[in-house]
Amino acid sequence: MLEISGLVAGYAGPPVLRDVSLDVRAGELVGLLGANNAGKSTLINCISGLIRPRAGTIRFDGEDITRLKPDAIVLRGVVQVPEGRQLFPRMSVLDNLLLGGTNRTARPARVRRIEQVYALFPRLEERKTQTAGTLSGGEQQMLAVGRAMMTGPRLLMLDEPSLGLAPLFVQAIFRALRALNEDGLTILLVEQNLNLTLDCAARGVVLERGQVAIVGDAATLRADPRTRQAYLGL
Amino acid sequence: MDLLIQTALQGILIGGSYALVALSLGLTYNVSGIINFAHGDFLTLSMFLALAAQSAWLIDPYISGALLFPLLFVLGAGVYHFLLRPVAQSHLLMVIQLTLGISFVLQNGLLMVFGGQPARVPSAFETTLFQAGGDFIFRAPQVFAFAGSVVLALLLWLLLDHTEAGRRIRAVHQNPRAAALMGIDVPRLRMQIFGVGIGVQAIAGALMLPGVPIDPALGFQYTVIPLMALVMGGLTDFLGIYLGALLIGLTEALGTVFVSGTSGMMVPYALFILVLLLRPQGLFRRA
Repeated sequence: MLEISGLVAGYAGPPVLRDVSLDVRAGELVGLLGANNAGKSTLINCISGLIRPRAGTIRFDGEDITRLKPDAIVLRGVVQVPEGRQLFPRMSVLDNLLLGGTNRTARPARVRRIEQVYALFPRLEERKTQTAGTLSGGEQQMLAVGRAMMTGPRLLMLDEPSLGLAPLFVQAIFRALRALNEDGLTILLVEQNLNLTLDCAARGVVLERGQVAIVGDAATLRADPRTRQAYLGL
Repeated sequence: MDLLIQTALQGILIGGSYALVALSLGLTYNVSGIINFAHGDFLTLSMFLALAAQSAWLIDPYISGALLFPLLFVLGAGVYHFLLRPVAQSHLLMVIQLTLGISFVLQNGLLMVFGGQPARVPSAFETTLFQAGGDFIFRAPQVFAFAGSVVLALLLWLLLDHTEAGRRIRAVHQNPRAAALMGIDVPRLRMQIFGVGIGVQAIAGALMLPGVPIDPALGFQYTVIPLMALVMGGLTDFLGIYLGALLIGLTEALGTVFVSGTSGMMVPYALFILVLLLRPQGLFRRA
């Protein structure tokens, strides 16, 4: 479904990603692992079109999306839940969800999808008139996931969804992700939390200093001592 | 006492025309993040275009204003797309310099074409007067301009708070990156809003024009005063911007009539400094 080959990208200075290639197959939940500064967020932002790669290609369903603008990539069903949630802080929960469904492909299904999001996170329905900025961190993360679901994603990418959350909320988020995956949604999950990710991911990719260090199924990665080393940045 | 009331009402009417310009300045600023120092010069441009339309085809400014809206919309959208957007990511001073540059080009272009002597544009209601409450007299164009500012404010409120487009505009204002991740074409929306903001200058120009002498250097005043209203309102609060504009008009009129000599002209600026010192977050915003 998603094929990345030979990706080189970064900001000013030396590249953050150096020749990264990886595949995500339809229906999979793939964990993207690695230490801080390994290049995980850069990779996701390249896929979303927020960063222009210097070389390499990103294909989605066979189509080259490397040079598309962020909004065009969302229209194709590749959607990111960004790190730090990036909500619209002074708007209500409902407005945030409606904005997830504002683009022309998502608009017709908006009413139906809101019900699905409320079923996934009942807490959001209770808080629907509340301003997003006043929610707790965990509720905000639920809203960020719900808002992304409103766009009608076919590939959902999440950047550190457990960051800074209370354990109870982490569980709720991951339970939701597993349920979405079982319903057929393809997920690319960037996480610091190694065990949690390997619990629900079928496969994992470990990035190390901008390169793919290890690729394998969850059990293999768990057994491989290099996985933990990569985490500690050794 | 009558003089005080007449002056105050007059000032509020003038404040209405400042509000026309200030609201559109606020809209473009909030969506694009660019403070456009050429904003008032687009107003003068539209006034001189209305002058040209009047001299060539005898079209009343109230009609040419509506006709000029699409023209200024395209001009504003073009200026944003081809000039401002390419530098929008660079240093703030670069963007300010660029809009100042546009201001000089417009001002001197108008000077070149129309000359520097004050011009007047005749209009149907130019000399019509309204009498209210016995002794108070108002010029019809000023009442129309004030009514226009109320209508614009209402339209803006309807657009922003009650339409899907408004929801997107607020999204781009609050978090452009997240808006892009929702599938909103942020550069396109910003271009359209910039076009609307400049397009509104055509309407504002027409409303302010009758009976008032214009010259190419007028634009600067209509950038600085709306900018003051914008800052007094706290940049993002449209009601605050609107009331700020009225307050400037009010103090300007009161200062001119009741404070002796040219020092009366300083009253609105003194008020502005006071607001900055005492309520830097904006007149009506909670800190």
